[in-house]
Parts: sequence; structure tokens; C-alpha cells
Amino acid sequence: MADLNRHLGRREFLRLAGAVGATAGLGAFLAACGASGATATPPAASSAPVASGAAPSAAATPGPTGTFNWLTWGDHWYQAEMDKIAADIGIKANITSFSDDIDAYTKVQQVGGQIDLVSEDALWVPYFYQHQLIDAFDINSLKVASQLYSVAREFSIWTSPAGYLGYPNGWAPIQITYDPAHVTPGADSWQLLLDPKYKKRVVVEDQPVEVMAYMGKAAGVKDPYNMTDAEVAQAKALLVQLKPNILRLAPQATDTVAALKNGEAWIATINLGADTAVMDQGGPKLTTFTPKEGSIGWMDAEMLVHGGANNNLLMPFLEVHEQAEYVAANFMINRRPLFSEAAYKLLINQGQQELADHLLFNKPETVNTMTLKGPGTSTQAAIAAFNDVFGS
Amino acid sequence: MTVASDGGVPSGPAAGSSSGLVKRFGRALPALPGLAVLLFLFLVPMAIMFVFSFWRTNNDFVVVPEWNLGNYARFFVEGTYLRTFIKTLIMAGLVTVAALAIGLPFAYFLVRYTGKLTQRVILLAVIVPFWTSYLVRVYAWQAILGEHGALNQILQAIGVIKVPLDIFNYDDPGVFVVLTYIYFPFALLALYASLEKFDFTQLNAAQDLGARPDQAFRHILLPQIRAGIITACIFVFIPILGEFLTPTLVGGAQSSLIANLVLNFLRNDQFAEGAALAIIIAAFVTAIMIVFRKSFRVEDVVTSG
Repeated sequence: MADLNRHLGRREFLRLAGAVGATAGLGAFLAACGASGATATPPAASSAPVASGAAPSAAATPGPTGTFNWLTWGDHWYQAEMDKIAADIGIKANITSFSDDIDAYTKVQQVGGQIDLVSEDALWVPYFYQHQLIDAFDINSLKVASQLYSVAREFSIWTSPAGYLGYPNGWAPIQITYDPAHVTPGADSWQLLLDPKYKKRVVVEDQPVEVMAYMGKAAGVKDPYNMTDAEVAQAKALLVQLKPNILRLAPQATDTVAALKNGEAWIATINLGADTAVMDQGGPKLTTFTPKEGSIGWMDAEMLVHGGANNNLLMPFLEVHEQAEYVAANFMINRRPLFSEAAYKLLINQGQQELADHLLFNKPETVNTMTLKGPGTSTQAAIAAFNDVFGS
Repeated sequence: MTVASDGGVPSGPAAGSSSGLVKRFGRALPALPGLAVLLFLFLVPMAIMFVFSFWRTNNDFVVVPEWNLGNYARFFVEGTYLRTFIKTLIMAGLVTVAALAIGLPFAYFLVRYTGKLTQRVILLAVIVPFWTSYLVRVYAWQAILGEHGALNQILQAIGVIKVPLDIFNYDDPGVFVVLTYIYFPFALLALYASLEKFDFTQLNAAQDLGARPDQAFRHILLPQIRAGIITACIFVFIPILGEFLTPTLVGGAQSSLIANLVLNFLRNDQFAEGAALAIIIAAFVTAIMIVFRKSFRVEDVVTSG
């Protein structure tokens, strides 16, 4: 699910491309002048997401340099940032993208220490640890960790006797958004998706296990990733009701955004923040809510792969990468809350409080109300039920 | 090469002699890369998939060697797989018929009534879309077939319809149109290659001898381009049995083909379950090839050059 909204809209892409170009040009200019790029420029305005001046302390201390391998989603980094970090501290990342948690799990299981850093969601993090794929670490040994909301340093599912299991990054619940020009306002339940009035007007993501999970939530199931057969049947019954309303199963978030923007879809399940992407691209003003029955959601972290060949680079890298300037700039590009309190304060200073609050950047404790994404025992049954509904 | 022995009896290198082995190895050497590809990228993975298909995936997403037939039973017991497979066959059949129906007259026209230069230009135009990625071409169809897409806008603008057509909007007809678009060039090229070798004066001769045009077509032309038609059918029908991207991008909730259901297992690491469904499809394709070979003398495709 987490990958669904991790694609740039055209506007953000252009903005980012401009920022990359500007950074490259600035870097070339500074290099030509023999100047260090580390502290040469003030923090960038939010509209140009280049975190200049980040991590002066890290830049001031000579440390290891080199390249490490990072398996992550496309929204955990942006090129201007990576270029600047490489210029400042001499650490580069060889980045490989993956589609979903299970994809990363399979890859790390196969190649182990060839990957140094891997990003995963919620309950996948302890799952990696149980399978000895990652190492715990003392999160407070990173100075930058003091910039996190305290709640993010204390998640019980990410705590082990050996230390913390990952460096917290971002989070979002699955929500429902709708166009009030076509949909009766006031909806607050998953039942909205099932209303026969909206035949072929609903877009949901093409993610069988996640769709079954939130149908489970709609049916009142407590643990939708570990459903009993009876609970799977309940969730499936709702999916049967939902099917006629589905315009399409969207392969990625950009497809959902496009369908909402051009008016083909009136209702969609989205990651928090996708509604702003629709409006940014000139689409209708949408109303978004978290269903009263509860929702599923993700929160992700960067994890140190056990036996990573370049793990000496990871702490110095995280020390810089997680600086508020970079996190705030990342937020402006990808529009979902992150766990850095310092970044939130920076956004306020940059005049972005309304957007940040709208996207719950100031309410990280909300994650405690979500059913967190993770590996479950009902995966196969969920897929079988999904196939049964969407097959002929 | 043979040499004469002292007694005048010709004799070749003794079988198994080192020089014979070297010669045979030398002859086989150019084929080794192809054999390696076939072995390691086709036969070995197929063998692994075949074995996996009889095992099961546990809750830790690990394929464990617990032999069972449950993965195969799913296909036959849970009606959705058989129904979706039949739907896939129907879709593949319809697209094949459409590609032939469009491709044959077009190829005939090209070969018979246009010059070589025109043929090259038109064939280039047929091939040009292949320079763009499959994904991009299918995505482009969203902008054509959507509710507010180009097709509906044009039809509304010229007054043919008042409200947007719904039938192509994320539904089976849209999948049919896009698959026909995607696979039509394969059929056309196969038919063109076959028609290009046909001597059209035979049609005139047949008509001079009293055959009607349709009789000349059926009894003179069709038998001689059978190899091209079979090749076109194979190039179109069989790949569609594994199509999942087009139904994903332009199909709706009703448009899944069998590969979409297989993919749902594979992308969630349910490899044993997905492998069984994939093996069933592969077995069916093999069966089709056998039927083709027996009924239509497919070897002609090869031997007729």
C-alpha cells in the first residue's frame, strides 16, 4: 500500500526537476569557485526542495566515504538531496526501488548483505528482525534522532532488547476521498464505497491483500491481516458488493489521482495526501475522511541489513539524510506526514503549517489508531477470495 | 573428411577419437549460447516451477516441500479460475480472428496492389509503434477510451452521441480493442511474409478455368498461405493467454484475464499456488501446439521457408 502514493505528480516532478537542475548548476558553480557546498546557501524555500546547509556537524567531521546499497521506495529520497549529501560527506547511495514490502523481503532474503539499508512498513520491521535480516541499533546514538517526535522513538513494535529496529520515516492511513459535487456529503463509513448509486465511480488500488484488509475493517474484523475463514468470508461478501461500483483497480496512485482529477471516478481509497495531489493538478476539491470503523495504515522505517558490506556508511548517512531540512523538503514533494518534529517546525517557519496540519504532520500519535500493515497468516486466503470476486 | 587406408578401404575418424570429438564440439560451439539460454532460462525455471507447483507456501512466504495436488485442484474446484480461463480463451480467439480479418485483406492489398517502396513505407509505419514501449502505448489508450477520452469527445463533437459511451471505459470491449491494436502487427507481418511469396497469376488462371473469385481465394490462395495464417494465429493467440498488463490498465473490475489471477499469487510470494496455475496454462498451450501440429501440419511453417 505504501508504494501507491509514492509517485510524483507532474507539477511536483517539474518542481523537483527544476530543483535538481538548480542544485546541479549551483554545485557546478561552487565547485568551479572552489567553495564547499555544505554551508554556502541558506535553507531552501519549500517550493524548491533542496535542503541546503543541512548537517553542518556531519560535514565538519571527517568520516567514512563510499557507496552503499539502499533498497527503498521512490519517496524516501530525492535526487537533489542525494547529490548534495554526496558532495558534502562523500557518501553515495546505489538505490534500488521495490514495489511492496513483500518484494523487499524476498530480495533481502535472497541477497542478504549485498543490501545495506532497506525500507519497510510497520509490522514488517519486526518480521525482518525475527528472521535475522536486520540489526537493531541505539537510535539515540544518532544526534538527528532528537529531531523526531518522541512517540516515534518509542514504538513498542520497533523496540527490542538489542535496540531500536529502524529509523522512523513516514506514515499514513488509508482514507476515503470523494468529490462532493457528485457524492452526498457527510459520509463517514466504508459503506460509502458500497452504495449502488456509485456504480463504476469508485477506484481502489490493485492490491488484493490490502483491499481485503480494509473490507475486513468494514466488516468489523479486528485483525484484518490475520483473518479466520469466517472473517475472510465476511470481507469477501463486502467485496462482492463493492465490485459493481469499481471503475478500475488502479495499479498505482497516479492512476487514482488521474481518475479523480478528470472526473471519471468520484470516490477512491487513497493514502493520506493523495487528495491534495488531485487538487494541485487542477482537479475538483475533494472531501477526505478516515472511516469510523477504523482503517489500515503504514508507517515505515529505514533498517540496517544484517551483514551489510557497507554498514559503516549508514549512521553517517542517516545523520545527514534525516536532517529537518531534507525531511521538510521531502514532505513538500511527497505530501505525507513524516516523524520529524523539527521538520514540522521548519514547515511552520516556511508558511506551510496549513498543509502540514491538513496532512496530520503534527499528529504522529494517530498511527496508534491504525491497524498497521504487516505480514499475516491470511494472505493466501485473502488472495483466493479476491480472485474469486474479480475473476469471471 | 575420409581418407584411404593402406588397403584402399575408406575410413573416417574412429568414433570417439579425440579428433572426432573436437570436430563435433567445434560444430556445436556456435549453438552453445542458445542451448545455455534454453537450458538455464527456460527449462530449468520451468522444472523448478513444476516442482514448486506440487508444494505449498507457508505463512512465512516460504515454499515448503509438502507434496500435494491442492494447487491444481484450486483451478478445477474453485469455478472462478476455469471461468476466467475460458474467458481468456474467448478473448484470445476473438482478437486472433480480428487480427486476421484486418490483417489478411490489408496484407493482400499491400502485396498485390502497391509497389515495393510503398510496401516498405507502410510496413515501417506498422513497425514504428514497436519503438515505443508497450506500457506507454497501452497507457495512451486510456486517454482515447476513457469517459472523457478522445473517442467520446469526437463522437460527441460530431453529434453521434450525446452522453459518453460507457462500453470502452474500463471494460472488456476496451481490452479487446487494445489487444487487437497491440497484436495486429504480428499477424500482419506473418501474413505479408507468406503472401509475398504467392504467385498471383494463379488466381487469374483459376478464374480463366471457371472458378469464381471466392473459389479461387479458398482453393488456391488460402492453402498456399496456410503457413502464414498459422504463424499469425500462434503469434497472436498464445501471448494473449499470458496477458495481464492490458487488462490491468484499460480493463475494469470485470476484465481480469487468467494471468491477472496468477499474478495476484506471485506478487504476494505465493509461488507454489501461482506456479500451478501457470503450469496449467503452459500445458494448455502445449496441447494447442500439438493439435495445431496434427491438424494443420504446422511443420509446413518451418519447411515452407
